[in-house]
Amino acid sequence: MRSSISNFKKRLRLPRLFFRKPSREEQIHGSPPLEFVRPIPPLPWRGITVVVVLIVLGATMVWELYCRLIGYGPTLSDNEDFWTLRRRLVEPESLVIIGDSRGLYDVDLDQIQKGLGKHPVQLAMGGSCAYPVLEDLANDRTFHGTIICSFVPRLFLAPPGTPPMERGEKAVHRFHNQTLAQRASEYLAFPLEEHVAFLNPHDLTLDDYLSELPIPNRPGTLVPPRLPPYFGTVDRERRTRMIQKCAEPNSALARRIQQIWIPLFTPPPPPSYVPKDVFFAQMDKAIGERFRGITIAVEKIRVRRGKIVFVRFPNGAGLKALEDHDPPREKTWEPLLKMTRASGIYYSDFPELAGFNCPEWSHLSASDSVEFSKRLVPHLRAALGM
Amino acid sequence: MEPPFAALLFSTTAMDFWLGRQIGKARERHVRRLWLVASVCMNLSMLGFFKYGNFLLQNFQWLLERVGIIYHPPHLEILLPIGISFYTFHSLSYTFYIYRRVLQPTRSLRDFVLAVSFFPQLVAGPIVRAGDFLPQLVRAPRLKTGQFCWGLMLMTLGLFEKVVLADTLLSGSADHAFGYPGPLVALDWWVGVVAFAGQIFFDFAGCSACAIGAALCLGFHLKDNFRFPYAAIGFSDFWRRWHISLSTFLRDYLYIPLGGNQVRPLRAASNLVIVMFLGGLWHGAAWTFVVWGLLHGSYLVIERVVRICCAERWWLNNPIGWTIAGGATFVAVCVAWVFFRAPDFTVASRMLSGMFGGHAKGDAILTTREILQVASVVFGMIATHWMLRNSSIEIAVTRMPRWIVTATWALMACAIIFNQGYGNAFIYFQF
Repeated sequence: MRSSISNFKKRLRLPRLFFRKPSREEQIHGSPPLEFVRPIPPLPWRGITVVVVLIVLGATMVWELYCRLIGYGPTLSDNEDFWTLRRRLVEPESLVIIGDSRGLYDVDLDQIQKGLGKHPVQLAMGGSCAYPVLEDLANDRTFHGTIICSFVPRLFLAPPGTPPMERGEKAVHRFHNQTLAQRASEYLAFPLEEHVAFLNPHDLTLDDYLSELPIPNRPGTLVPPRLPPYFGTVDRERRTRMIQKCAEPNSALARRIQQIWIPLFTPPPPPSYVPKDVFFAQMDKAIGERFRGITIAVEKIRVRRGKIVFVRFPNGAGLKALEDHDPPREKTWEPLLKMTRASGIYYSDFPELAGFNCPEWSHLSASDSVEFSKRLVPHLRAALGM
Repeated sequence: MEPPFAALLFSTTAMDFWLGRQIGKARERHVRRLWLVASVCMNLSMLGFFKYGNFLLQNFQWLLERVGIIYHPPHLEILLPIGISFYTFHSLSYTFYIYRRVLQPTRSLRDFVLAVSFFPQLVAGPIVRAGDFLPQLVRAPRLKTGQFCWGLMLMTLGLFEKVVLADTLLSGSADHAFGYPGPLVALDWWVGVVAFAGQIFFDFAGCSACAIGAALCLGFHLKDNFRFPYAAIGFSDFWRRWHISLSTFLRDYLYIPLGGNQVRPLRAASNLVIVMFLGGLWHGAAWTFVVWGLLHGSYLVIERVVRICCAERWWLNNPIGWTIAGGATFVAVCVAWVFFRAPDFTVASRMLSGMFGGHAKGDAILTTREILQVASVVFGMIATHWMLRNSSIEIAVTRMPRWIVTATWALMACAIIFNQGYGNAFIYFQF
């Protein structure tokens, strides 16, 4: 009995290799040609393709509606390529905001422009260390503008190799090495991301859904703390605003994020494979080197008549205790200003800046960021000698 | 691609075009050989300079230090032209074909440039030989609906393998394990290595499927680069199924000219090791790749010895024996992947030691969800490979009911769209 495979082979055009005398037309390549033809499964492909396209379109629309129903809206993906596009706009005398997510959420660009007379370029990045960006601006010999730098000790002093430091380094590296294709891809992504909610980079990926599965881990498993879910939107100028669902007093989303900040702001235990004393000595050394690096960077900017001001933005009750305790202000903020001889604005030193409420303990709501920025401007002007 | 690299690609291609004509024109064997040597030297020196320049200098410095000479070579700021390992071989295959009188020199520089730099296979393969591609340029490609749609489906399959399976479901565990600076418990090491085995397959097979699909959509036919490699029984079988375009290239232009297996056993064994050594080095300028290649070379030698000694043994010639041999092949291939993925020998040795119980007090860093995820994807991959090991994707699709083909295609497309992806480049782009 003939097998089904041999029957199949008859129906299917299998690869054929043959030699033959070249035709006149083929003389251009001086053949003999080895002609290879891929087999195409004999199915009604036109119909199948139409059905697939219809299913995918339908499923995409249903998914988009579902994402909007559960509270997700369109927002730009704040990645290295987007950051690089903004970094390219920095001119020699630009006003630049660098730092972490508090520099993103708590600063209203329009208020700063009104108050300081220049439109700022937003270069702060969520969960990042500002040092690589500061160093890059310091090494840019043409830059002699003004820098507003958000300061969160745990991020700003993050040692090399940690995620906050890597995020900053990646962005700077991308700025110096962005290809034409990466830039074009970002420009193509804008109109899509601005209108399609399911492209929201937070919580809606397969990986995010899988990580939500309630599967217990082995005892003692070292799992990195989770990152907060979607709570802000980003526009083309990287203006970042807290969504209303999070800004509402005592909202479920805000409470959920508060519980996520606690492990993120708690110092991790020393790794098991390094003796504790060696680890802490390494940390002290890394922090010392970071302070020296910051001092050199600030000095380079100052030599070119550039200006820098460090700002400590508000935090909420739950985080304030954690952040004030480890490491304390005397070991971070005070030495920073002393070593760099730069100006600094610590929100709690000024009653008009201290009375703001951070719904999820770490950032201001969109409306509060406007008011806070308005009140911050006189302090900035004084610090910058304007 | 940067303009200087495009100029480099064009100039080496034009040079090979000219050298091909010289080989074709030459009547005496020694003259033809001379032109061939010129082509090989030109291509390999270009590859050597861009890919191995700094590596050679570093090793030269190390050697001098061993004999007491302190030498500080300048660090060459060389950017690796993307796809150089692939297009060098595309171009070389042309002069080899002409030298062997399989193909006559093409008269069209335009067609030859297209054959070398055809975009679907330029950056990460498959390595398409001139003899397989140039004849397709004789007539303008005729596009048929079925061919176009099947090309689209292959592209969807390739993207699904890359975006969903490799990047989303496997790469995280592999990155965690290979990137952890301390000791881990054996389970985490094994999961990391197995995850990488799956990741590199889906990444590279996905890339090849996209290239084949894109070429089909444009009316061109490229050969398969993978044939269910994790169902291989033995290492020679593995290399008949993994990166077929490279392994056949090395077989035809290196292994067979060295004498292949038609020489004394010791020489045949050394031929295998030489070929795999160079195959390892082709992947990157690092000793870890060399060790990966040498490990595969020694696997092939051991397999040959076992086949000679145990050819008639009943336990090697029944389904249970094949299954055990297949399992052993997979484990050995995974062990070799440690050297392929590890950034240096410190990480590789820590990993191998941990995999075989060397770290009694290691940390556990993978979540149960990650372990289950890797286990199910890799199990599904191996099961599929075994089910289709003597078949092909075309045969499998033909046998499927239409509604399953439609549903599978739609599901893969939806998964790609909803998953969004991480924007990671294909692993083989770096080679």
